[in-house]
Amino acid sequence: MMSWISEPLSYPFMQQALLIAVLVGTVCAVLSCYLILKGWSLMGDAVSHAVLPGIVIAFLVGAPLAVGAFIAGLFCAVATGYLKENSRIKEDTVMGVVFSGMFAFGIVLFVKVETDQHLNHILFGNLLGVSQAELIELAVTAIAVIAIVLVKRRDLMLYCFDPEHAQAINLPVRSLHYGLLILLSLTIVASIKAVGIILVVAMLIAPGAIGYLVTDRFDKMMAVAVASAITSSVAGTILSFHIGGATGPTIILVQASLFMVAFVFGQRRTSPIALDRKAAQRPSLR
Amino acid sequence: MAELLVPFQYDFMIKAMWVSSLVGAVCGFLSCYLMLKGWSLMGDALAHAIVPGVAVAYLFKLPYAVGAFFAGLLAALGMAFIRQQSKLNVDAVIGLVFTTFFAAGMLLVSLYPAAINVQTIVLGNILAISDWDALQVVIITAVSLAVLLLIWRDLIAVFFDEDHAASVGLPVTRLKVIFFTLLSACTVAALQTVGALLVIAMVVTPGATAYLLVDRFERLILIAVGLGAGTSFVGAYISYFLDGATGGVIVTLQTLIFLAAFIFAPKHGLLARRRAIKTTVLADGRDASASPAASP
Repeated sequence: MMSWISEPLSYPFMQQALLIAVLVGTVCAVLSCYLILKGWSLMGDAVSHAVLPGIVIAFLVGAPLAVGAFIAGLFCAVATGYLKENSRIKEDTVMGVVFSGMFAFGIVLFVKVETDQHLNHILFGNLLGVSQAELIELAVTAIAVIAIVLVKRRDLMLYCFDPEHAQAINLPVRSLHYGLLILLSLTIVASIKAVGIILVVAMLIAPGAIGYLVTDRFDKMMAVAVASAITSSVAGTILSFHIGGATGPTIILVQASLFMVAFVFGQRRTSPIALDRKAAQRPSLR
Repeated sequence: MAELLVPFQYDFMIKAMWVSSLVGAVCGFLSCYLMLKGWSLMGDALAHAIVPGVAVAYLFKLPYAVGAFFAGLLAALGMAFIRQQSKLNVDAVIGLVFTTFFAAGMLLVSLYPAAINVQTIVLGNILAISDWDALQVVIITAVSLAVLLLIWRDLIAVFFDEDHAASVGLPVTRLKVIFFTLLSACTVAALQTVGALLVIAMVVTPGATAYLLVDRFERLILIAVGLGAGTSFVGAYISYFLDGATGGVIVTLQTLIFLAAFIFAPKHGLLARRRAIKTTVLADGRDASASPAASP
C-alpha cells in the first residue's frame, strides 16, 4: 500500500505534477464555493472556452499567451452582459452564443495560424508538460487569487448570496461583480496549461458542490471544498500513474466519486431556504 | 472563378455539404424551443455527456450513435436524480454531470489512443466522415425532422403554456420526453459535423438570431432552419479551402450573422432601439426612460 503511493512520487516529474494538481485544485475549489452560491457554475464553462482565440491572437502578436487568454475570457463575460442588457434574449442563450462563437473563431484561427501550441494540450491540458516558468506563474496566480478571496471573503459571500442586501448595506456591488469575474478568468487562465479548457470547468464546480451538500455554513463549505479538491488531486495523480491514463480526467473522476459519496451519505437535511429557492425555480425548469 | 467550384467536384465535399445542411436545419429547428425556454445549456451538456459513449462505441466498433444514445440517457437520468435528491441548483448539477462524463471520455481516450480519434469527437470531422457514420447522421436527422414536422405545433403549446396544453388534452410529459429524445439525437448527429464542443452553437445561435428578427413563431422556425442549413452548407464549403475546422467555420458564420442581427435587426436591433429612444426623446422631450420601445 505504502509503495503504491510512494513509488510514483519518487519521480521528479510526478512530484511536480502533484504540486500543480494541488495548486490548481485548491484555487479552483475556493472559487467554486462562490460560483455555486451565485449560480454561476456555467460561467466557468463559458469563460474557459472563450480564452482560445485570445491564446492564438496573443501568439500572433507575440504577447504572453496568458495575457491574451485573460483578456478574451473577460471579454466573453462582459460581452455576455452587454448583449443581454441590449436585446431581448435570455442570459444563458446569450452566453451560449458568445462563448461558442469565440471558441469557434479560435478554432478557425488556430487552423489558419501556425503555432507551436498543441490544440490537444490547450483543450485537455498536459499536467506532465508544465515548464518551470509556467509553474511559477501558476503558483503566483493561485496564491494571489486565494489571498484576495480570503481578504474579501465576507463581502464576496454576501454579494453572491444576496446581491440586493449587499447593495443595501453599501457594498461596492459592481466592483465585487467584476472582481469575481477577474478572479475567475485569472484562475482559468492559470489552470488551463495543467488541466485544459474543458476539465477546469469540473474543478470549478465539483468541490463547491460537495461542500454545499454536506454543510450549511459557508466557512465549513469552503474547508470541505478545499479538502476534497486536494484529496482528489493527490489520489487522482497517483491513480493516473498506475492505470497509465491522463491525469486531469482521473482527478475529475475521483472528485466525482467523492461527490457521489457526499451525495449518498453526507447530505444534511435540506434547509428551508434552499427548499424555497428550489421550489421557486422548479416550474421554469420542469 | 473555377477555383471556387473545385469543392463541388469532390464526392466527399458534396456529401459533407449536404449532410451538414441537414444537421444544421434540424438543430436550427430545435434551437427555437431551447432558446425560448432558457434550456440552451442542456444542448451543451448533452453534447459533452455523450463523448464517453462515442469513445466506447469506437473502441468496440459499434455504431457510434448507439453508444452516444446510452451515454446521453445515463447523463440525463443522473442529472434528474441528483437534482431531485439534493439542494443543488440545476446549473451546478448539469455542470457536474456533464464534466464528469466528459472526463470519463477523455480518460478512455488516453487509455486507448489508437482506437479513438479524439479530434474527431470533440471537433468533428465531417470532411472525412465515413459512409457508415454519414448514414447514421442522415437517418437520425431525417427521422427527427419528420417527427418535428408532425408535432411542432403541439410543442409550441407545451412550451409556452404547459397548463393550457394539459387542459386541452395534450400529452405534456410524453411530448417533453419526445423533445429531449430529439435533442439528444440531434446532438449525436451534430457531433459529426461540428464536434462536441460546438454543438451548443448549433442548437442555440440560429434560434437566437431569428428571435431578434421576427415575432411570429412560424417565421422564427423558418428563419432558424434556413440559417442553420445555410451556414452549415457554406461553412462546409469554406472549410475545404481551410483544410478542416468545418465546425469552427460554421459556428463563426452563425455568430457573425447573430451579431449583424443584433445591430441591424429592424425592430429589436441595437440601432432600431436607439432610434426608438431618440424619437421618443424628441417627441416627448422629457423622459426617455419611460419609452415603451426602449424597455420592452
